[in-house]
Amino acid sequence: MSASLSNSAVDRAANALRLPTGILLAVLTGAWLAAVARAPLDSVQGVIQKILYVHPPLAFAAYAGFALTAIGGALFLWRGDEAWDRLARASAEVGVLFCTLVIVTGPIWAKGTWGRWWSWDLRLTITLLLWFVYLAYLLLRSFTEGSERAARFAAVYGIAGLAVIPLNYFALDMAAGRSMHPENLQQGSLGAGMGWPFALGAGVCLVAFTQLLVRRIEIEALRGALAERVAGAPGGLERS
Amino acid sequence: MNTLLAILWKDLVSEWRSRDRVVAMALFSFLVVVVLHFALPGADPAEVRRVAPGLLWVAYVFAALLGLNRAFALELENDALSALAMAPADRGFVFLGKAAANFVLLAVVQFATAVVFGLAFALDLVPVAVPLAGVVALGSLGICSVGTLFSAVAVRTRYREVMLPLLILPLLVPVLLGAVSATASLLQGERVPFASIQLLVVTDAVFLIVSFLGFEYVLDE
Amino acid sequence: MSSGATALRGAPVVSAAGLAKRFGPITALAGVDFDVGAGAVVAVLGPNGAGKTTLLRILAGLARPSAGDVRYAGGADRRSARRFVGYIGHATFLYPQLTARENLHFTARLYGVEDADARIATLLAELGLEAVADRVAASFSRGLAQRLAIARALVHDPQLVLLEEPFTGLDPVSADRLAARIDALRGAARAVVLVTHDLARAAALADRAIVLVGGSVAFDSEGAPRSAGELEHAYRSALDAA
Repeated sequence: MSASLSNSAVDRAANALRLPTGILLAVLTGAWLAAVARAPLDSVQGVIQKILYVHPPLAFAAYAGFALTAIGGALFLWRGDEAWDRLARASAEVGVLFCTLVIVTGPIWAKGTWGRWWSWDLRLTITLLLWFVYLAYLLLRSFTEGSERAARFAAVYGIAGLAVIPLNYFALDMAAGRSMHPENLQQGSLGAGMGWPFALGAGVCLVAFTQLLVRRIEIEALRGALAERVAGAPGGLERS
Repeated sequence: MNTLLAILWKDLVSEWRSRDRVVAMALFSFLVVVVLHFALPGADPAEVRRVAPGLLWVAYVFAALLGLNRAFALELENDALSALAMAPADRGFVFLGKAAANFVLLAVVQFATAVVFGLAFALDLVPVAVPLAGVVALGSLGICSVGTLFSAVAVRTRYREVMLPLLILPLLVPVLLGAVSATASLLQGERVPFASIQLLVVTDAVFLIVSFLGFEYVLDE
Repeated sequence: MSSGATALRGAPVVSAAGLAKRFGPITALAGVDFDVGAGAVVAVLGPNGAGKTTLLRILAGLARPSAGDVRYAGGADRRSARRFVGYIGHATFLYPQLTARENLHFTARLYGVEDADARIATLLAELGLEAVADRVAASFSRGLAQRLAIARALVHDPQLVLLEEPFTGLDPVSADRLAARIDALRGAARAVVLVTHDLARAAALADRAIVLVGGSVAFDSEGAPRSAGELEHAYRSALDAA
């Protein structure tokens, strides 16, 4: 019986992505920092504006993370393959990190621009709600006795959590009047010299997310394999 | 279908014989109303009328959480939950039976709470009683569907009472926003905006489907 | 004392091959082949954590195996097979606020039992519960509750009856009654799987005894155990070998 990673698609993908994303991350981060340093200061917002190179990509990663969590969970329920649960869990743990960063960078930027730490504008609120769902997901996993049961419960919750995102969007949209949130920044609407840092920032976030995800999946897989080895060690029953 | 009715009957009869859940929910709900009243010292009637819908739903949500937490306590006592899991019927119908029972009990408490609320905040709810009942029913449908699903989950975790609100409050935001908006319009004597009803109906539908299908996996060992 | 019981074995009511249950670092079952036929009692023994309960729960349709296959007579799948499985466990599965009769009616409705009234009347009589039929289950003593739990498990006349340590905590008289009941089930061509720590009872009742250790079958008597002593010896050897 092989103690290495199972042969599932998830683990094979993780294995394949580990090195390339690591290298890419190093390269992109370097390029990105250089680009950010060289980007012109926004006339109105000053240095704070540079958070914009990071805030939307972080948000994108946070949402992608939750989508992966929910989809991984759904596939786990359907197929019963543990590897999908590993993906779901890893994605949740990495995703919550990115989500937290979004919630932290948002107010920092808001304070710098509008003078208020918090505003209940649509995008920030919906991300806040996502953050709560993430945390509830992780707490649910910790507090359920029995790892398989935890995986199953979490999978169902993940699906519910994903389903509620569009519902929240419509609900908040209906409730609020205007949104204080700046419109989606497009390449064209960024000032000159801001395009590259933004694109690189997005790249860095995605690659960082993937790298962390891959590492986390591997840790979980190795942990499982190790325990299996230990269980089969002298004292355990070897079936021929 | 038979399963649904059997479970509905069982829950209601059990509750009728002990009456502990409904009484606790109602009492708690009334206390919340009183506390909310104290939370608004010396507010003028116009202001009260503005915030009243939100306050009413706060009381409703608290009552619902209390009731839902107890929903599966009955099943845990002698591990009847496993017996339900072994029943040949589609587990989605077990869910519907449970959710229906929760809905009925919650409705009773909500009615009583509305009366107390009207008294406490000097609001005359009688003219809008029927549409209000409709709105409350739509809201409760949303609350009871995911509430029942995750109550079955929470009851098998550590800190079960705390787990349920943590899980479902973020999910209930659309329900609350729709319900509060609709209730507010009713109390102002206006027509309920279509957007709120639409939101409630869509949310309820999504939640019912997810809960119906998800229950299958929640009942497994 | 089971007589040449292997001769009674009918077609397998349920058979499982290569059954495994693992998740993460925990392996509850590591490849178990198992089958039980109509009119046979199979005893499953083993230390705690050996996988006995897991096996039972998989057979009951409560848990999904990670690997392996469970086949039920008539080609039923996991879900439809629940219809003819009865489970008697540690817990009674009873609703304390309902009377004995109501508990039975509820279960009958869940299983779509036809002519439930007659069936329930019969069961109440057989298990000596007529006197308390209309008392709420909360008021029952342990012995009565146990009997009601048995009635509940048999309401739908299951083909496969799973018992999880039913003798634990029972007084000798009740235990004898239960043993007689298991015998009766065998006589009625039902398949019985008995998980128990009670080697003496197992030896007396079983047509076949299996010892599970660490999630695998460590011993299979294949026929009826000749005596309690022999079974105990086999049990201890299996444990030592592990």
